[in-house]
Amino acid sequence: MTNTNLISRPGRIISPISLLIWIILTSALVFTLMPIVFMFSASMMPSKDILKMPFPWIPKEFHWQNFTKAIAGNDGSFIFIRNFSNSVIVSAVVTVTTVILSSMTGYGLAKFRFKGRNIVFLAIMATMMIPFEAIMIPLYLVATKLHLQNSYGGLIIPFLVNAFGVFMMRQYLLPFPDEFLDATRIDGAGELSIFWHIVLPNCAPAIATLSILTFRSQWDNLLWPLLVAQSEKMKTLPLYIVKFAAEKYTDEGAMMAVAVLGSIPMLILFFTMSRYFVSGASVFSSRKG
Amino acid sequence: MKKTYSGIEKKLSRWGWFFVAPSLFFFSLFSFYPILNAGFTSLFRKKILSLKPPTFIGLKNYIYLLQSDDFWNSIRATFVFTIGTFIPLLVFSLLLAVLILNIKKGKKFLQLAYYAPAVLSSVVAAVIWMSIFDPRGLGNQILNFLFNTPGIDHKWLADSTMVQLSTILVYFWKYIGYFVVIFIAGLAAIPGSLYEAATIDGAGKWQSFWRITFPLLKPTIILVSVMSMLQCLKTFSTQYLFVQSGSPQAPINVITLNIYNTGIRDHLIGRSSAMSIILFLIMLFFTWLQFKTSKADDVSY
Repeated sequence: MTNTNLISRPGRIISPISLLIWIILTSALVFTLMPIVFMFSASMMPSKDILKMPFPWIPKEFHWQNFTKAIAGNDGSFIFIRNFSNSVIVSAVVTVTTVILSSMTGYGLAKFRFKGRNIVFLAIMATMMIPFEAIMIPLYLVATKLHLQNSYGGLIIPFLVNAFGVFMMRQYLLPFPDEFLDATRIDGAGELSIFWHIVLPNCAPAIATLSILTFRSQWDNLLWPLLVAQSEKMKTLPLYIVKFAAEKYTDEGAMMAVAVLGSIPMLILFFTMSRYFVSGASVFSSRKG
Repeated sequence: MKKTYSGIEKKLSRWGWFFVAPSLFFFSLFSFYPILNAGFTSLFRKKILSLKPPTFIGLKNYIYLLQSDDFWNSIRATFVFTIGTFIPLLVFSLLLAVLILNIKKGKKFLQLAYYAPAVLSSVVAAVIWMSIFDPRGLGNQILNFLFNTPGIDHKWLADSTMVQLSTILVYFWKYIGYFVVIFIAGLAAIPGSLYEAATIDGAGKWQSFWRITFPLLKPTIILVSVMSMLQCLKTFSTQYLFVQSGSPQAPINVITLNIYNTGIRDHLIGRSSAMSIILFLIMLFFTWLQFKTSKADDVSY
């Protein structure tokens, strides 16, 4: 896509303008990557090195105590392991249910005609306008009434499906040929088996994108667990990091180690599935008002 | 034709409901009910742990808020953060997207590298930057190097102006790559034939940018501004973590933080619900604005 090519001048190797472009792009690169590199180097240093002037970017030796401190925690309770697993469990379960329920609903809205279909669609879209932050207090009261505090149910149930997922799956399925579905019906396939064996496999790229988006937003979720998970055992990773950072504010090395531990799963996902991360972001640009 | 298939159609419409019903139930319980409930609760004086039945006080919660300095401070903090974040985000992500499309090699790499911060969770982002903002940390080292002011502490997390700037910087860093990707997708959707036609007609590069790229990109620009605005209005993690670690609360006491503190720490459910409804209305207004402006400007090509 060189269609916005403003300044390509054949014949000259580096024009002043392309030099300027490279300077801007490189400074932006330094700005975005510097803090990440800082996190990794600092996680391997004793705290006195981190605050040295100038910052020694390459650690002299691997200071593994940072990581043992991060995992053992302040009180040596190793609750980190439990909190980390909670994050994995919650994010994974929410991702699976969101994918299944969103594609079911998206399929129902895209491929079936029934009275009230448009109203259902509009109603679900309207929920996109309700920010979670505005309903967290009443939602917390609902969770209390259902006795969901300090349980996986409480962490998971409010996120079983989301409107954006429904919207995305519906858009993806609209162009899917009806004839194909009718042909399978005539061959005697049941509706559930059509959904499971034909619709779902055909949605693989959309499902991958939705999974990444959902998993990441759950992994990142701080506000809801803060409300609903007060017991140490039911806390998730972001809560552990907040608590650890508040207590270990002076121990920069250990703080960076816990940050690294919290980032590694997402970074691995990112490097293996970056295509879907990027398509997840650009899904929005095809969404016209 | 239609009548003869009515049996099948009826059966299919039932299946349609079958696929839709679980989500519809879910949204009713976890989206519609809570927002109605928030509206209802905002009219009562209600405390979480109190056994007394809530007393109906009409609009008193709202009146209280409108007269409360603390609430107006939250509105101010939220808007300072939102405007301070979304304008630089918009300008710089558009600039970077246009520049990336103009280079020959390394497009993919740069996109991914700019996007990398968005992958980290907001808590991790805040923790990293807290270390950078340490009085002896990288932030001061870099500023002092750039301005040649050795040994000055810029009080990133302590000074009330600087702590606002710090939260903005964290957010800007985290989301810049995200919006670069969106802009690149928007730019790539503009058909190349338009540029060829313009070149034949004798338009220069700058001319075709301002006459073709910019107007055709308008829907994406509106979308990105509203999205980043809505995102900024909901900011919570960075401010929460900074305050937990000892930063002054007042300058960065954004609405979400205030809702949380009022409802959960002070147990004032009615008052925090009123704040929630105000936040909801503000965000609804921006969403409406987006729909209105994007409808009017929708271009076809």
